[in-house]
Amino acid sequence: MTVLEAAAALRQKRVSSVELTLACLERIEKLNPTLNAFITVTAGLALEQARQADGERAGGLDRGPLHGIPVAHKDLFCTKDVLTTSGSRIFSSYVPNFDAACVWRLRQAGAVMLGKTNLHEHAYGITSTNPHYGAVRNPWDPQRIPGGSSGGSAVAVATGMALAATGSDTGGSIRVPASYCGLTGLKPTFGRVSKFGALPLGFSLDHVGPLTRTVRDAAAVLQVLAGYDPRDACSVNRPVPDYMPPAAGISLQGLKIGLPENFFFEKLDPQVDHAVHFLAYTAQDLGAELVDVRLPGGHQLNVIAQVTLLAEAASVHEPYIRRRRKEYGGDVATLIDMGRLIPATDYIQAQRLRRRIQGVYLDILAKVDCLLVPATPIVAPHIGQAEVAVGGQVEDTRLASTRLVRGFNALGLPVLALPAGFSQGGLPMGCQLVGRPFDEGLLLRIGAALEDRTGLTARTPPL
Amino acid sequence: MSSSLGPAWKTIAEAQKIQLSETSIQRLEAIARTMLGLRGMIDWSEEPAQVFTATPPTEKPVE
Repeated sequence: MTVLEAAAALRQKRVSSVELTLACLERIEKLNPTLNAFITVTAGLALEQARQADGERAGGLDRGPLHGIPVAHKDLFCTKDVLTTSGSRIFSSYVPNFDAACVWRLRQAGAVMLGKTNLHEHAYGITSTNPHYGAVRNPWDPQRIPGGSSGGSAVAVATGMALAATGSDTGGSIRVPASYCGLTGLKPTFGRVSKFGALPLGFSLDHVGPLTRTVRDAAAVLQVLAGYDPRDACSVNRPVPDYMPPAAGISLQGLKIGLPENFFFEKLDPQVDHAVHFLAYTAQDLGAELVDVRLPGGHQLNVIAQVTLLAEAASVHEPYIRRRRKEYGGDVATLIDMGRLIPATDYIQAQRLRRRIQGVYLDILAKVDCLLVPATPIVAPHIGQAEVAVGGQVEDTRLASTRLVRGFNALGLPVLALPAGFSQGGLPMGCQLVGRPFDEGLLLRIGAALEDRTGLTARTPPL
Repeated sequence: MSSSLGPAWKTIAEAQKIQLSETSIQRLEAIARTMLGLRGMIDWSEEPAQVFTATPPTEKPVE
């Protein structure tokens, strides 16, 4: 069931929030021992919140489409009186006395919190193979990773353990799991959604956004999350438009969709290439004009984002890594060590280059309405798989998984990830729609049109 | 092996009591090489401090 289907059922009194919440808790009880999506399940609190939502509805109060909807939060968002581990030993007993902005906003909209989802340690990686809380497993094939770092959130939504979930994205951490789990994931424009109360990783790269089954569900959640927050220095004060796409019959007439000639369609699994091109032709069939574009070097942009993240994450973790090194997993400690060695000059030059390349992208996005590119060049790799062969070359699995997503964090542009198809082996493959700053509404409209035509969201994991 | 144009990563790491694997050193070398090459894209006429310009806080939230 999607968020909007559940919301309609709640409004028509065909189901109660308590019933929806109990159904999710039953799914968690059944599936979580295998898939390991949750670190903490707040069953008692969830049922209390669900009863409150039902009571409010019975009294005539309707807080909107998320009122009474069971959701999950990535375990790096602070939750008042609820453990917030960041998937780490460092924060293994941290119980905040406040809610992160995204948690608070969803609560104000009447959403029910089911619990906190597993993630890559400190959100610093894309496998979600967590050394402290166990590996999160992909529901399409439990021997494979779900992607990360928001892996638990993605698995929870893909399996119906939650109807929607929050995620964070510093180098693809919403979009990679969306791609590997067959979901919609939205990285909003930098500043659109408050980062207050999100344990930081790369403070100029961190984005907060939803993971959902459908594009319209993502619109419903973004509608609640978006907005100015003076507690986040990066928050942007501008009006929040209506994000919800029309219910049906969306035409893409008059829209120009840019297809990059370089970088994004190089070194791909051919199945991914075909799926994303099929989606492009679907957009054309819906009235859009496909335009070939040439983008600034993708590899170079990735390096700029890597330098920025290595330095910023090392700065964030410096107080802990010196004294509590043994409490870090090996891969994360290595990245922090590398970050401690990045020269200050490289970090500063990376910021200058970042702005320069952003200008080039904005010039291109003045000529087209959005870009359509693959999300990951491969399907979900196996747990523990260090390397992957793609495009005739062997590549580090982590670098391959983030190759097509990382750069957009440095640019701060909004990106909607959505399913593009399924491999012959039945694994999901994803694509990205990249838009102008604060143009999430258009991306959601285009995404909804494609989703309506392809019907890909109807397919669920074989559990 | 260090890049002839880049920093001697192993020496720098040892000075900070950091142990780096050969893979990490190779990755840092690759990053340093790319960053060196990208110097050509920098707009040297730009005032670098602009990148870090502080924006005055907005008076009142819209919402």
